[in-house]
Amino acid sequence: MREALEGSLAIARAVAMAKPDVVAAYPITPQTHIVENLSKLVAEGDLHTEFVSVESEFSAASVVLGAAATGARAYTATASQGVLLMSEVLFNIAGLRIPLVMTVANRAVGAPLSIWNDQSDAMAVRDAGWIHLHCASNQEAVDTTIQAFRIAEATELPVMVCMDGFVLTHTMEVIDMPGQAQVDAFLPPFAFSRALDSADPRTVGTLVDPGWFAEMRHSHHAAMGRALGVIEKVDADFAKLTGRASGGLLTVTGDPDARVGILAMGSVVGTLEAGLADFGTEAGTARLIKLRAFRPFPARALREAVAGLDTLIVIDRAISPGLGGIVGSEVSAVLQSMTAAPRVLNYALGLGGRDIPESVYPALIAAAANPLAPRFAVFDADLDKLMPEDR
Amino acid sequence: MTMTRLTRGAWAAPGTSLEFKTGNWRSTERPVHAHAKAPCHAACPAGEDQQAWFAKLQEGQPQQAWRALVHANPLPAITGRVCPHPCETACNRAALDGALAIHNVERWLGDEAVARGWAYPVDTPAPDAPRVAIVGAGPGGLSAAYHCVRLGLNAALFEAAPEAGGLLRSAIPPTRLPRDTLDAELGRLLALPGITLNLRARLGRDVTLDGLRDAFGAVILSPGCELPKPWSVRGAVPADLHDGLHLLRDFMDHGALPDAARGDVIVHGGGNTAMDICRIMKRAGANRVTLITASALPGPNTARDDLINVVPRELEEALEEGIEVIEHATVSRLIMKGSRVTGVEIVSLRKEPGPDGRKRRVEFEGTERVLPVDMVVPCVGEQVSPDGFEGVLDGAYFWPDDAWGRLREDGVFAIGDARGNRGTVAAAIGDGRLAAQAVAARLLGGDAPVADLRPERGVAGLNTAYYPAMRRTAVAKLPVAKRGFETEIEGGLSRAEAMAEAERCLSCGNCLACDNCWTMCPDSAVIKTVEAATDGSHYVFDLDYCKGCGLCAQECPTGYIQMVAETG
Repeated sequence: MREALEGSLAIARAVAMAKPDVVAAYPITPQTHIVENLSKLVAEGDLHTEFVSVESEFSAASVVLGAAATGARAYTATASQGVLLMSEVLFNIAGLRIPLVMTVANRAVGAPLSIWNDQSDAMAVRDAGWIHLHCASNQEAVDTTIQAFRIAEATELPVMVCMDGFVLTHTMEVIDMPGQAQVDAFLPPFAFSRALDSADPRTVGTLVDPGWFAEMRHSHHAAMGRALGVIEKVDADFAKLTGRASGGLLTVTGDPDARVGILAMGSVVGTLEAGLADFGTEAGTARLIKLRAFRPFPARALREAVAGLDTLIVIDRAISPGLGGIVGSEVSAVLQSMTAAPRVLNYALGLGGRDIPESVYPALIAAAANPLAPRFAVFDADLDKLMPEDR
Repeated sequence: MTMTRLTRGAWAAPGTSLEFKTGNWRSTERPVHAHAKAPCHAACPAGEDQQAWFAKLQEGQPQQAWRALVHANPLPAITGRVCPHPCETACNRAALDGALAIHNVERWLGDEAVARGWAYPVDTPAPDAPRVAIVGAGPGGLSAAYHCVRLGLNAALFEAAPEAGGLLRSAIPPTRLPRDTLDAELGRLLALPGITLNLRARLGRDVTLDGLRDAFGAVILSPGCELPKPWSVRGAVPADLHDGLHLLRDFMDHGALPDAARGDVIVHGGGNTAMDICRIMKRAGANRVTLITASALPGPNTARDDLINVVPRELEEALEEGIEVIEHATVSRLIMKGSRVTGVEIVSLRKEPGPDGRKRRVEFEGTERVLPVDMVVPCVGEQVSPDGFEGVLDGAYFWPDDAWGRLREDGVFAIGDARGNRGTVAAAIGDGRLAAQAVAARLLGGDAPVADLRPERGVAGLNTAYYPAMRRTAVAKLPVAKRGFETEIEGGLSRAEAMAEAERCLSCGNCLACDNCWTMCPDSAVIKTVEAATDGSHYVFDLDYCKGCGLCAQECPTGYIQMVAETG
């Protein structure tokens, strides 16, 4: 059924349809509305779940870890500093191969203190071992949330569903909500192969000596590799059921014959699509690559998606100071093995909630046409605001 | 670690982390439980383990506490009143917020046992059990008799006086030891089956030592000291001389003092008898009572061996009552008018190294001064009355070879004041117990008793941070104006006060069951047991996992946990 819904409410309803056994969360802007809406559903009797009000994100993550270890379907959500406070537990969840789903309403990480959107928070924990799926719209976020439970439970890996804070979470959008029957058909009850059982005790989180640690890491990495196929298949199955795909690992749109490509994650993809429509004729067309799976990183799909491009512009919504873009660096690395790899221009955009207007599209196309364009820049920074020695 | 296949996420078979025996990281020290002596116990001449009976009070078990107390001292209602309580001087709590009121609680327990009729924890000896003769039914003899019975022997007391009690009855005023208390506690002890009391049986007159040695398995001599030491000043002795001990006895028997005692009186000496006679004479109407003592009054710089040897509260009360004390002085000359004293010359004493290098007191020339007096009372100590002990005494006293009182004469033991270097009721009681142990070993077989050589746990060995501050319970005292010759001066504790005071015991050197070690061990290597472990505590160290960090020992409030070197 199509409804106009705020992103956060839509996500709460999608989570409720997945029928989690345990929800534990601590409020933080811009994620708060999601768990507030979940708590309302519980209070009104529309959702039967153990809703645990905790005292910090560290506890929220710990609660869902423990709950999922017993075989419960578990969910949490956070953002920004909350991700950082969880970070130790996030590594434990992934390393213990605990399947659960967490929404990250992406927000900048202080300092400087900012409550606004970019993707620094998810990038800060990119090596924790979670699956990272980035959503370009609230429809994708709803569909991906439901898919995420099936991906997590099939791979025994935790899934982080990333959606841009405010830009998506606080925006009304017409969303086609799946029906409960559809979700029930798509998402079987969770049956965890390693569910803790007091009749057959297991040690979770034991000390692993050097004779085993490397094997454990290898196995985790290999599971991530296999997850690539799972993510694609789950999206395809969802499309069969609802008629909507969420973009698999990545999606190519725009002009397939263009020599310039632009790769981005999250809601900025919509801005670029609008820019192509409005300025494409005048400024030149581009191939648009919407990267949905940041972890596992889809190297082969990327190489196929960029084949034939002269220049690939990679948009980063975060920065690794001293290196440059993060997505850009990873894309550059995986394209190295191509015989005719495109030149990669890596631009950070919209940091700390800086508005990204449609006019960024012609500006990017112009950069692609410039052979002397810098390989990396904070594209929309106004350096005149800085003292000369800080530029 | 055995080869195990780990599941994804390294979920493992249960208990695998226990396979890491972290105890083998321990290299230098391991913790042990070490039940050291509490300072009160180490200082107690009667051998009481105050910590043990306070622990029972802390458990809310007064009768169990009394039973633990009378394991060493059968006369707590008496010692709680008359003992100078070196336990309180030694108490580690003195360094925090005041020593425990041990003597007050001991007295309460003793009174409680009398009031409630708690039975002494002793069995009746077999009728054919060996018999022990005990000469003297003062505190030492009574203690010896009690401990003989406790250890399975029959005891026959031979007392020269018409009543048992010794100096408890003859030399301690009722204001310190009410006669009903004395009679009640002695009566309960003497009623124990296995003890027979022969009164008016004086050695040398009614019985002989040889006769006793023939008829009994062993003889314990506890005659006390009833003969005042000879006293004169450069050969001069007043014609109407009365020594302190006899004055005290006469006053307690007849309630009368010589006429001269109404004037100015000098008492020369420095023990509890001197203190008692000073106070009685003052209360009986002496104009002025001055104590001349070679020792010192308590003060911040007073050395322990220089301090006047009296019950501290007796001295305090005496000063309240107006007794004057001249310390570090002696009587150097008597000023006589005919055979009557009219004044004394006193001289100050100072310390000077003697020929052997040890310091001794010598008269400080030039400090002589004269005090006009009506009476001089020497109170310089007593010695054993030699009748019946000819050949056994070594000078004025007995000097046994060991702590158990064994004399050279086979099967004869000497205890109490008659040993010459004792001087308290508690020491006599302790002597009685030790002699009884040696006698029991001799007559019943078994190992000879050995000295307890455990170390003492001083305040430096405690972690005092764990003890909340609690003030010492104060007891009421009769105001000076109301003090007479019968009413007890020091008041008692209520049950609630005694139980509250017991809470102040630090349990020095013994387990408090506080759980600190169990809670704080970073390796969970302290295991709590339901049944008491062999050392009596409810904790054992799991040395498979103890890394020897010492946290338990550091955080043990009582010093019960000690780190000792690993051997091998």
